[in-house]
Amino acid sequence: MVSQVLSTVLTVLAGVAAALVVYWVLNKLAEALPGPWENRIKPYFYVAPAVAAIGVYLVYPTIITVINSFKNSDGSRFVGVENFVKLLQTPAFRQTLLNTLLWIAIVPAACIVVGLFVATLADRLSFRAEKAAKTIIFMPMAISAVGSATVWRFMYAAQPAGQPQTGLLNGIVTAFGHDPVPWLQQSTLHSNSLLLMVMLLWGQAGFAMVLLSAAIKGVPAETLEAARLDGAGEMRIFWRVILPQIRGTVITVFVTVLITVMKVFDVIYVTTNGAFNTNVVGLEFFNQLYTNYNYGYASAIVVMLLIAIVPIMIYQIRHFRAEEPA
Amino acid sequence: MPTRKLVLAVSAFSALTLLATGCSSGSDSSASDKKTITIWSSMDQPIIDGLKAKVNPEAKAQGITVQWRKVDNINQIIVQKVQANDAPDIALLPQPGIIKDFATKGKVTPLDDVLDIPALQKSMTPGTLDVAKVNGKTYGLMVSMNVKGLVFYPKKAFEAAGYTAPKTLDELNALTEKIKADGKTPWCLGIEAATATGWPATDWFENLVLKYGGVDKYNEWISHKIKFDSPLVRQAAAQFEKIAFTDGNVLGGRKSIASNNFGTAGNPMFQSKPGCYMYQQGSFITGFFPKAVQKNLDSEVGVFGLPPVTAGGDNPVEGGGDTASIYQDSPAARKVMKLLAATDVGTTAAKNGSSFISPHKDFPLSNYPLKTTQSIAKVAYDSTGFAFDGSDAMPTAVGTGSFWKEMTAWISGQESLDAALKNIDASWPVS
Repeated sequence: MVSQVLSTVLTVLAGVAAALVVYWVLNKLAEALPGPWENRIKPYFYVAPAVAAIGVYLVYPTIITVINSFKNSDGSRFVGVENFVKLLQTPAFRQTLLNTLLWIAIVPAACIVVGLFVATLADRLSFRAEKAAKTIIFMPMAISAVGSATVWRFMYAAQPAGQPQTGLLNGIVTAFGHDPVPWLQQSTLHSNSLLLMVMLLWGQAGFAMVLLSAAIKGVPAETLEAARLDGAGEMRIFWRVILPQIRGTVITVFVTVLITVMKVFDVIYVTTNGAFNTNVVGLEFFNQLYTNYNYGYASAIVVMLLIAIVPIMIYQIRHFRAEEPA
Repeated sequence: MPTRKLVLAVSAFSALTLLATGCSSGSDSSASDKKTITIWSSMDQPIIDGLKAKVNPEAKAQGITVQWRKVDNINQIIVQKVQANDAPDIALLPQPGIIKDFATKGKVTPLDDVLDIPALQKSMTPGTLDVAKVNGKTYGLMVSMNVKGLVFYPKKAFEAAGYTAPKTLDELNALTEKIKADGKTPWCLGIEAATATGWPATDWFENLVLKYGGVDKYNEWISHKIKFDSPLVRQAAAQFEKIAFTDGNVLGGRKSIASNNFGTAGNPMFQSKPGCYMYQQGSFITGFFPKAVQKNLDSEVGVFGLPPVTAGGDNPVEGGGDTASIYQDSPAARKVMKLLAATDVGTTAAKNGSSFISPHKDFPLSNYPLKTTQSIAKVAYDSTGFAFDGSDAMPTAVGTGSFWKEMTAWISGQESLDAALKNIDASWPVS
């Protein structure tokens, strides 16, 4: 333990020192240049290491992944679009896509609704009560997704009928004299996927609430007073006065959660590992790579995910720029 | 400053010796006078301690020092070490497939000139000497084994009701019916194992395929020469279906199987009014039983092996084991290998109460302090053949992927058997 901490500290120190040396050397190089060239070149010297890092750690792997998606399972031969075609032809993968779509359609919206609901109501509480309520809602954010999924497994656990139930839900169900329900196996209308979504929602609602709450507090009190003087009801004030003024935050939260959801993996891996038709794209990628060693399929899945995420990211960046006061 | 000089001298000396030993371990010239043998394994520490207590004094008498090292995830590390020419003298692997792979690449020493193979053939459980055989040569020696396909039962209640261990699969089905006719639930069954959900079902399949098909057919199946969508596998599936899906056979019914954790699924057997009377698992499961049961294992738990198709007929058993091979050949390594091949090498390991089971069928059962362990060992010693865990030997895409998932989908009723078997076949990687 001590040696691990020590080596971590040393690594960080060495890294920082190395970065300083690099910049110092670059700076010296620039200074050695004649006259006006020093100032012309210097900015590029300062940006170059960052650009190089992004190139090596982000751009290069992305390009390799795209290339691999057109190769066979061990990357030894080009197979054209075969990976994509085969994946999309598999009924199980189409169900995986459908599940992912469900996650996308439900979780970000639900997150906003829950976050707004809590933030709006908490805003009307006394200072202490507001703090307590927000702390409780925010707490799950401190737990890793794997940790929360492990805890939630106990929520849905099912023992055979007649046995003591360790699962909370089945504890309640059996207390009313019904047979225990194997919750995570209820795949009719993808209801087990909904149960899994609750887990992520539980973790993400706090994030949404904190940002939205801050935005609501930033709404100028005069606008609310003006609306009240004009005789608007509280609902109307919320929809017509508060919401338009926090629209930017709502969009930011929505997009952030959306991207989290598109990559969702851990909560499903821990609870069902995709069984009972709960598979999603992020998990399928993991299993293709680490269980099946099929680099072609794994890369093809990532490329599909990339194609889906890029427009959302572009939208987010545009939106972010528009929000930024000039 | 004398101390600084001393430090310098010591560090220079140790650097030299390091260099020297570093050179010697790689070169063949010094192999003949090697005095220290390193043995790697991933066995439980009590087993290592037991073997060490027996082997080391005997090796010492021949002038050899034996160093044991416990290496977790040895399967991955040994591959790296062999590639780097830095392998230990002897290593015990739980995966004989890796040894076979090394054998074809000439990385392990054949044991045919080292050990008395014909004598071992007689001494060892049938099949255990063949687990690492390539082109007729023996490359691995199993030292410690575990047994799968065991049916555990609550001894007191089972015997009080007058039930006896079945001799054939038909008798097992008859016993199931009898327990049910007595108004009780015959089986406990659970295949939930978090991310590995489904594996206990694959164990059921492997055992039944082994019983119906024998070792040779079983090996053809795990190398996909026999498909999942085949009469043999369907025969195994039909027997599993009879036990697992028939109304009233399983505690909680079919729908509970996929959500019932394998570790605790058998525990209702030990309630005052047993929730079930039989639970099939590997020898390790006793460690999952309730603490009170573990304390009185011999009086609480009985065990029999899954029976053969016909009484007295071919009755192979599924299991696992740690198989020793020589990675750095030297006279000393060969001598230590001979010590490991002796039947009584496991005497101390067995007596110290570890989970050790000797693969030698002439190993006296009285060496095992527990009656339960004796019964488990006897299941193996009385068998006609030995097969390694099949899903472990299959490509991971099947063995830890589709085989688990499709079994889970079938058992939970999301998929037909037909679709499950065909999907597994389709998932087999094309090589």
